[in-house]
Amino acid sequence: MRRGGFRIRVGLAGRKDPPHRFRRAAAAIVAAAVVSLTATIGIAQNPPAATNGSYKVARTADGRPDLQGYWTNLTYTPFERPRALANKPFYTEQEAIEAFNKAVADTTDQIVHYVNSDFGATPVQTGARPNPRTSLVIDPPDGRVPALTPDAAKREAARVAAARSRGQLAQTWKDDRGTMWCVFHDRAVPAVVAPYGSNYHIVQARDWIVITYEWNTEHRIIPLDGRPHAPASIRTYAGDSRGRWEGDTLVVETTNFSPNRNFYGSGGTFTLVERFTRTADDTVVHTYTVSDPSTWTRPWTVELPMHRINGPMLEYACNENNQDGFATLKNARAQEEGRLAPMDAVKRGDAKAAITEREERGSAKVLGGDTQDGNK
Amino acid sequence: MRPTAILVATVAFAAVLSVRPGEGQTYTAPRTAGGQPDLNGFWQALNTAHWDLEPHTAAPGPVLQLGAAYAVPPGQGVVVDGPIPYRPDALEKKKQYAANALREDAEVKCYLPGVPRVMYMPYPVQIVQSDSTILMMSEFASAQRTIYVGGKNSPPADTWMGWSNAQWESDTLVIDSRGFMGGTISALDPEGAIQVRFLDRAGNYHTDGLHVVERIRRIGPDHLSYQATIEDPNVYTRPWTISMPLYRRLEPGMQLGEFKCEEFVSDLVYGKYQKSPAR
Repeated sequence: MRRGGFRIRVGLAGRKDPPHRFRRAAAAIVAAAVVSLTATIGIAQNPPAATNGSYKVARTADGRPDLQGYWTNLTYTPFERPRALANKPFYTEQEAIEAFNKAVADTTDQIVHYVNSDFGATPVQTGARPNPRTSLVIDPPDGRVPALTPDAAKREAARVAAARSRGQLAQTWKDDRGTMWCVFHDRAVPAVVAPYGSNYHIVQARDWIVITYEWNTEHRIIPLDGRPHAPASIRTYAGDSRGRWEGDTLVVETTNFSPNRNFYGSGGTFTLVERFTRTADDTVVHTYTVSDPSTWTRPWTVELPMHRINGPMLEYACNENNQDGFATLKNARAQEEGRLAPMDAVKRGDAKAAITEREERGSAKVLGGDTQDGNK
Repeated sequence: MRPTAILVATVAFAAVLSVRPGEGQTYTAPRTAGGQPDLNGFWQALNTAHWDLEPHTAAPGPVLQLGAAYAVPPGQGVVVDGPIPYRPDALEKKKQYAANALREDAEVKCYLPGVPRVMYMPYPVQIVQSDSTILMMSEFASAQRTIYVGGKNSPPADTWMGWSNAQWESDTLVIDSRGFMGGTISALDPEGAIQVRFLDRAGNYHTDGLHVVERIRRIGPDHLSYQATIEDPNVYTRPWTISMPLYRRLEPGMQLGEFKCEEFVSDLVYGKYQKSPAR
């Protein structure tokens, strides 16, 4: 099965293969997003979820904690904890900085397709910082996604087998969710850190909060007025979110996910409870817990620090210029008909090896990987 | 008259038209906590501007099989100072685009609909308003406008929904938008490329020379006055203005549905390169 293309294609402005003049524009925008090296290396909280005692949260005119502005959750901390760190949930500050620098160096080596600084995609430009956590999954205590239930494991095996049976070449636009799919960005909710484009814009009114994710301009429009959830018959990619304030923390409960979703083995039957707490002027700590007794043996929790970046964030416009859609399908037909030689096996093998290595180290799942490419 | 004088006269004329008995200048909008006129809510046009901005009689729809369900309903038009002042060559183009609307219209392909079209499509628009940023989000294709109140920046790049700076003039939000995409930038396949941007289903269009000035004002508890002055020297001989009320969607529990329409059109767009339809 095709493992999805992890390629840096776009910058902060998030477009597919922008022509040269866009590159220049993107570079101009992100120049403003550069975070000073000093700020980047500092570890503000330890543990990060704890509210900094001296920080008095900024408030909107309505008196609510002010979460507005531009944030990134880009991180080089692996989603699941590497086996070698099984009993070590936290690094020391020195270890965290070393791990960060090593991850940055490894990632930079992998990405040779573009000049990253042109796109605001170098680690410093993106606003990523060292994290004292050794994994983004913080519960269960081993930092790993819990095991699938026996039924869910069978379901997942059947799904993977069905996808494999369709072969390497895309038959329809649904066959490559990694690169051809503009319908919904699966990393938007629940948040799964992407290697780029992990930026958010938050706008608040009294009764609504809008969290816009840069990739695919996925906006979540969340009511805060206490209304009940939508009827169970309405199921959507982004799910049905309801927010409320608990003290100074925004709590968002999301249900009604589409059966077309596949989140770590759950086909949209999971529920999501998120908490957003502004712990410093430049930090919002975002935690979420997912539960689905029909999929996992227990609920599990992720913690994602969001750090302030400068805007703006431009529209993504994925469907409007989806050259991958045409190219992938045309190339597939041409290969079937013998009009085009199969892709260079050596090159393809190298790319796969790089991704496999990345996953084995426990980095964030690559888009299009087995647990992120539902609907095949 | 010089163009600037024409623009001023046009806007003044449109402002007069928008005042209705019992509403208008005498109505004082409630304020947000930040002190601005409160535009929050769900708004929608109730007219046939999405079919044709200009006055039009009823007509059969473009797809025979859809019969009366997709026939063109009649409409009085929303252009204040019509007809739309096309340059002669641009008017010829309009006729060609109208004849090929199913291929040329971005709406068919679920592309972002642009401005001002997004405001009068047959889908609700939700406004979420903070002091410095106003979001306008359509149900169609999850299109989003970000409006920078007090913003002075030029568009950093061309986009489908444009770059919008705004200011409050008394109780009227005046939005100045530029930086619009003309068509697709470089699609590999002509089936995915569009040449210009349609303003309606009748083939009225603009190019990347578009400049839009909108004036939005509460004229009652459940009504907005909406005007847009449209300028594009590539296409029109002078600026021209549309005007219409927008109505509040009053349903309890109103929220935007998820309308990810790319799903509904991908078999059409990619069809000839697929082994079989995906659905």
